[in-house]
Amino acid sequence: MKMQEHEIEKKIRSISADQYMEIIKLARAAKKNSAKKADIKVAVIGTCSLQYFVMVLKVILLKYGISAEIYEGQYDGINMEVFDRASALYCFQPDVVIVLSDYRDIKEFPSLFDTNDAVDSYIKKNGEYYSEMWDRLSEIKGCHILQANLVTPVERVLGNLESGVYYSRRIFYQLLNIEMTKRKRKNVTIIDMEYLASIAGKDKWFDRKSYFMNKLPFSLEQIGIVCDVFAQQIAELKGKIKKCLVLDLDNTLWGGVVADEGPLGIQTDPNQAEGEAYLEFQKYILELKNRGVILGVISKNDYETAKEPFDKNENMILKYDDFSAFIANWENKAKNIEAMANELNIGTDSFVFFDDNPAEREIVKMYHPEVTVIEVPENIAEYVTALERAHPFDWLNITKEDISRTESYVSNSARKTLQIQFKDYQEYLKALEMESEVGPLDKNNLERFTQLINKSNQFNLRTQRYSEGTISQMTSSPDYRLLTVKLSDKFSKFGIISCIILKKEESECFIDTWVMSCRVLKRDVEKLVFNHIVKEAVNWKCERITGEYIPTVKNKLVKNLLPELGFELIETDDTGKERYSCSVELAKYNKTMIKER
Amino acid sequence: MNIKETLEKIFRDVFEDEDIILTESTTAEDIEDWDSLTHIQLIEEIEQEFKIKFTLQEITGLKNVGEFITLVERKLSN
Repeated sequence: MKMQEHEIEKKIRSISADQYMEIIKLARAAKKNSAKKADIKVAVIGTCSLQYFVMVLKVILLKYGISAEIYEGQYDGINMEVFDRASALYCFQPDVVIVLSDYRDIKEFPSLFDTNDAVDSYIKKNGEYYSEMWDRLSEIKGCHILQANLVTPVERVLGNLESGVYYSRRIFYQLLNIEMTKRKRKNVTIIDMEYLASIAGKDKWFDRKSYFMNKLPFSLEQIGIVCDVFAQQIAELKGKIKKCLVLDLDNTLWGGVVADEGPLGIQTDPNQAEGEAYLEFQKYILELKNRGVILGVISKNDYETAKEPFDKNENMILKYDDFSAFIANWENKAKNIEAMANELNIGTDSFVFFDDNPAEREIVKMYHPEVTVIEVPENIAEYVTALERAHPFDWLNITKEDISRTESYVSNSARKTLQIQFKDYQEYLKALEMESEVGPLDKNNLERFTQLINKSNQFNLRTQRYSEGTISQMTSSPDYRLLTVKLSDKFSKFGIISCIILKKEESECFIDTWVMSCRVLKRDVEKLVFNHIVKEAVNWKCERITGEYIPTVKNKLVKNLLPELGFELIETDDTGKERYSCSVELAKYNKTMIKER
Repeated sequence: MNIKETLEKIFRDVFEDEDIILTESTTAEDIEDWDSLTHIQLIEEIEQEFKIKFTLQEITGLKNVGEFITLVERKLSN
């Protein structure tokens, strides 16, 4: 039975890198497959046996959506192939050359009692070998080199003294690895095999039997994990770069559910094991942000509830402003990922999704196979290692722009920076280049309209809740006008951020509902909306506009909204409900910095 | 399942060929994909299945499936 490439691709996606037997089987199947047109040409050269590496790399690349043509170098062929410009390697014209160097390549070492200077010059000499090799390979046009560093062996002839004297072999290998890093050219990426081996544990890494029998440089068990690291770098070269880490909140950044336990009741106590583990995770995330990873939150929560711990819980290491995008609502997370991609203006394929809930992970995997979904362990102590093992942010290099990028993507922070530049607030609003679209409720937006009306607590004049059915009925009644307001600025597309329900009551236009998302406060959206309310009142030939403020625990924000727009207070009842009125004729037109479409 | 049947299962799995039938005299010549690489894979699978570890000298001397079976029997009885 022959498996098609896309079937293999689908299967390989669901296999974890340590299931090496499964991977090898798929690799064998992929090998027999007549490859479709290759996206990239990869040459693998080395001193040990390369067959397994080449076979498995090919199939793991499929996991990243890359179809590769791979050149398998000759056994122990590095010198022969690199330093002969007429070799098959040069004829192949690879885009990427993988150099699998091995500690066994080194045949000469410093002698006992060599001075430090002698050792250093030895290192330099060996380093020059790598430089020369890279120079030669760079003659292949546009070629990028993935250079494996040396895994220091288990043997220590001098025992513990190997770390006690500078002329030891162990120190020599270590210095040589550092020398490679120092000398690396722009088109060279060092692959840290020494690290991979240390994670596996060297007793497991080296399989001596397989080496003697087949010259395998490391145990077959590691083949998937190793190839995955190389494949990811190749994916990066092809522009498949992960930039943004999307996090859940409850039981991911803190223990427990904030809606149940409150912002102070959640587990973030540094003096308790569990709390400490969550805080460690937060610290790690913060360090990711500081090195240029964009952070986002997608949480099934009310926005206000989700945000509260960041404002009120002093144990929290991550602050609200560390996140470039913060989505807390009741939408499914696959949809929210799209919304976030829009907001941040990056592709969903640059997302890494971290959520403790397997159901959420499943839905994201299903709708967005391009998103890297981390298999989050149940054990919170392993959160950091789970992210490390998946190494999604293995960038080819890091630039100062990467670091500043997190800042510029932090839309809110960016707006704040902008704010500092402008002394005049109006000037700032102007620089935001806001655009708005106000219009009657479109059927497609019924869900969002209902959601905003039923979820808004702060900017909500009367806190009337309506079902989707009721709202739908209103749209077909001549006595109701339902308006939606969309907003975007140079940083973000906010979508629908305000909803209004107007009701004609004889010669009065009554503001039944007026809600707005708090994300767009202080931008004069309310003034713009008022202009439209007046327009509707004129269309209805009403004389007055009436409105009410019904106080709740949460809506103090809009207590002065109506008087500030020029309404007069006409009545206050004993529940605190205030009734306002405004003449249509005298209503003033508000100028704003928002361009209307 | 006796040792031969278990080996057969592993061989079928590794070579992805349900038609493989092992006899004591089966050698690498008889199975198309049985090369030095698949040999390592076979060894790994057999070691895992029977929870045994072969020495280098044990596996380099194997001539046919019969010897494989004898070797596994001996390791298991130790």
